[in-house]
Amino acid sequence: MAKQKDLDTELSLISFISLLSVLICSLLLTAIWVHVGSMNVKQAIGGQSIEKGKKNPAVWVKFGKGGLVSFQLQDAPRVARSLQRKVISGAADHTIDIVAVNDFVAKLRTKIPDLKTALIQPKSETVYEDIIMLMDNFKKAGLIDLGVAPL
Amino acid sequence: MIKYGVLKNTAVESPLQSVSAIKPKSNSRKKKLVAAVILTSLIDAFSILVIYLLVNFSNSGEILYISKDMVLPDATQSETLKRSTLVKVEKGKYFIEDEPVSANKLVQRLVEVKKRLVTSKAEDNSSLTVQADKHVKYKVLNQVVLAGSHAGFGEIKFAVLAN
Repeated sequence: MAKQKDLDTELSLISFISLLSVLICSLLLTAIWVHVGSMNVKQAIGGQSIEKGKKNPAVWVKFGKGGLVSFQLQDAPRVARSLQRKVISGAADHTIDIVAVNDFVAKLRTKIPDLKTALIQPKSETVYEDIIMLMDNFKKAGLIDLGVAPL
Repeated sequence: MIKYGVLKNTAVESPLQSVSAIKPKSNSRKKKLVAAVILTSLIDAFSILVIYLLVNFSNSGEILYISKDMVLPDATQSETLKRSTLVKVEKGKYFIEDEPVSANKLVQRLVEVKKRLVTSKAEDNSSLTVQADKHVKYKVLNQVVLAGSHAGFGEIKFAVLAN
């Protein structure tokens, strides 16, 4: 009587484990754990509207003391006065009241859909983190063309 | 000992001893204490690790070296960082491509870099990457912004931690 062939074959897992170990080691060595991006801005020394020819609406954002932020619209004549100039006081802990800033920027974007330029004018004591936070929120709101003015 | 616990299911007969010419134990019913490790779960874990690392793999490599003391600001709307002239501000000192430069020579050195980039027809010769700690005051960064402007770098890329 012929012996029946065993169909229950086993895979040799040692080679799999070796291959996976090598892959894991090489990937761990080349892995990038911190993803660095960039916040791209242009120099805001009056060049942006000139180079395009047509005057696009822009908003100047100035930093003040104790988290104060003031907005001033430029080249947007058919807008209510309350939106032309606005001063947003800082929060209780002297930081920027980012909720109020976001609300105002959202209002501006609703009234002026063409508004895509924001020119930021920090003060000498303004912290770098606050500038980036403001830029980040502006980009989120659709103000994609950002500029920063030197002192 | 083999009769109980995990070893009862995983203990196997030694193949070497069963073919031994001196004292073959192929007919022996007694199981040896050779525990087979359950490899399936290990391979599952390894596969998950490999997939995770492959997803996070980036072939662009590290563009910036961030020192331990430097914390970059966070941003959610950041763009992919591309290689351009790097100006680093660390502990009030300025570095152009890791070479220390005094504040009053920043413009001069950036002009030289710009000239070199234009001569070599570099792909990106109009942007400047600024790497600085998030607590730095703008008066420190202003030197770089102004120097970049004087040297003809129209675009400034602030390095941020992408969230």
